[in-house]
Amino acid sequence: MTEPLVKITDLSLWYEKYRALDCINTEFDSGKCIVICGPSGSGKSSLLRCVNRLEDFQEGDVFFDGQSLRECSDIAALRSNIGMVFQHFELYPHMSVLDNITLAPRWAKKKPKEAAETHAMALLDRVGIANQAKKYPAELSGGQQQRAAIARALALEPKLMLFDEPTSALDPEMIVEVLRVMRDLAQDGMTMLVVTHEMAFAREVSDEIIFMDEGRIVERKATPDFFTNPHSRRAQDFLDRILMKI
Amino acid sequence: MDWAVIPANLPFLMKGLWVSFQLAIFVIVISFPLACVIAVGRVSSRWWIRFPSATFVNAMRSNPLILIVFWFFFLVPLIIGRPVGDFASVMIAFVVFFSAYFTEIIRSGIQSVDRNQIQAGLSTGLTYFQVMRMVVLPQAMRNMMPALVTECIIIFQGTTIAYVVGLREFLNSTFLVTERTIRPVELYLFAALVYFVVCFAGSCLARYLEKKKVRTQ
Repeated sequence: MTEPLVKITDLSLWYEKYRALDCINTEFDSGKCIVICGPSGSGKSSLLRCVNRLEDFQEGDVFFDGQSLRECSDIAALRSNIGMVFQHFELYPHMSVLDNITLAPRWAKKKPKEAAETHAMALLDRVGIANQAKKYPAELSGGQQQRAAIARALALEPKLMLFDEPTSALDPEMIVEVLRVMRDLAQDGMTMLVVTHEMAFAREVSDEIIFMDEGRIVERKATPDFFTNPHSRRAQDFLDRILMKI
Repeated sequence: MDWAVIPANLPFLMKGLWVSFQLAIFVIVISFPLACVIAVGRVSSRWWIRFPSATFVNAMRSNPLILIVFWFFFLVPLIIGRPVGDFASVMIAFVVFFSAYFTEIIRSGIQSVDRNQIQAGLSTGLTYFQVMRMVVLPQAMRNMMPALVTECIIIFQGTTIAYVVGLREFLNSTFLVTERTIRPVELYLFAALVYFVVCFAGSCLARYLEKKKVRTQ
């Protein structure tokens, strides 16, 4: 039996008095694409951000590749193996797209400039915007910016990709181009944790679905099973609403 | 009016102006990087870094500049047992005082950058200081350029305070010439004109940078 890539044990997170995550226990295997869904405020993003310790959780632990995040002394080195994509892209506005992508490989992974740029160009080609390399983020459309942000995360050659509502800030006609890139990544065997409301994407691409509510994992099922046979009442309600069944 | 006193004493006056410029430039060049470090401490999440930085800033901003100049001119020589020299003591006092003001400008500049930018940088495995240096400060710099230029003008005007310890900067030189020639009206008008030209040019630059900032956003 192989070790799971991410293992979460008794994880709790508070914002002041508010309990955002309530004793989460779960694990994620390599090569799987897992969608995390649930109503807003249910703790989806918080859970995602605990996986690379962008949130300092108070209780429990997260193990990435066997390494405890709580006891990790070089969190930066650990994070450089995990790519993260944000809702609002968070490209660096004062740098060209190419520099955005090569920054971390050069400074966190000490890659030589030429090698980092060659790799960045290959990644930009993969996400379909190689011709935008020299431009600044503000000159790109939202969909292009998010694809550049995905390329930036992939430049780390990560073992795991985290997506935090990657299409929520996009116009409808740009959502598809981002989802296509994500689908291709999943098909190439990338391990992905995706917080999203795109249920069509979840249904087509993901292997498993986690449904969260009030800081807890209410349900975790293989994707086809989740859509046809959601176990909990809350998941059923959520699905009805999000698939706009009236 | 006898304007001839000005060309007659111009070399002496310009030497004074050069001292003023030197003082202002040294102060800016030293206190700015210092302030960058203190400002990063000021926004740190660790209280034992944040607290001393905040204390320093608040202490300096709650004292008149002239008092700090006195400290370094009168008290520090008592402590170290030898005179510091008028230029050095004024310069150190200015660096200490104005780095506190620079710190506040830089702090508000850092806080004008979206916090998610820091998270994005951290998520790629950069350290906090790398994120500050390569992601946050360059963006903050663009936002705070107008305020920084304005502060530089204030520093240049502030150099006149060095007069109290007898440093021969521009205002002091002007004063010495008036003593000798008894032509205060011409000389002080000239001094006003010189300060006006330098500072007005500076504020035009600040306004230009302000406009440019609005345009690039």
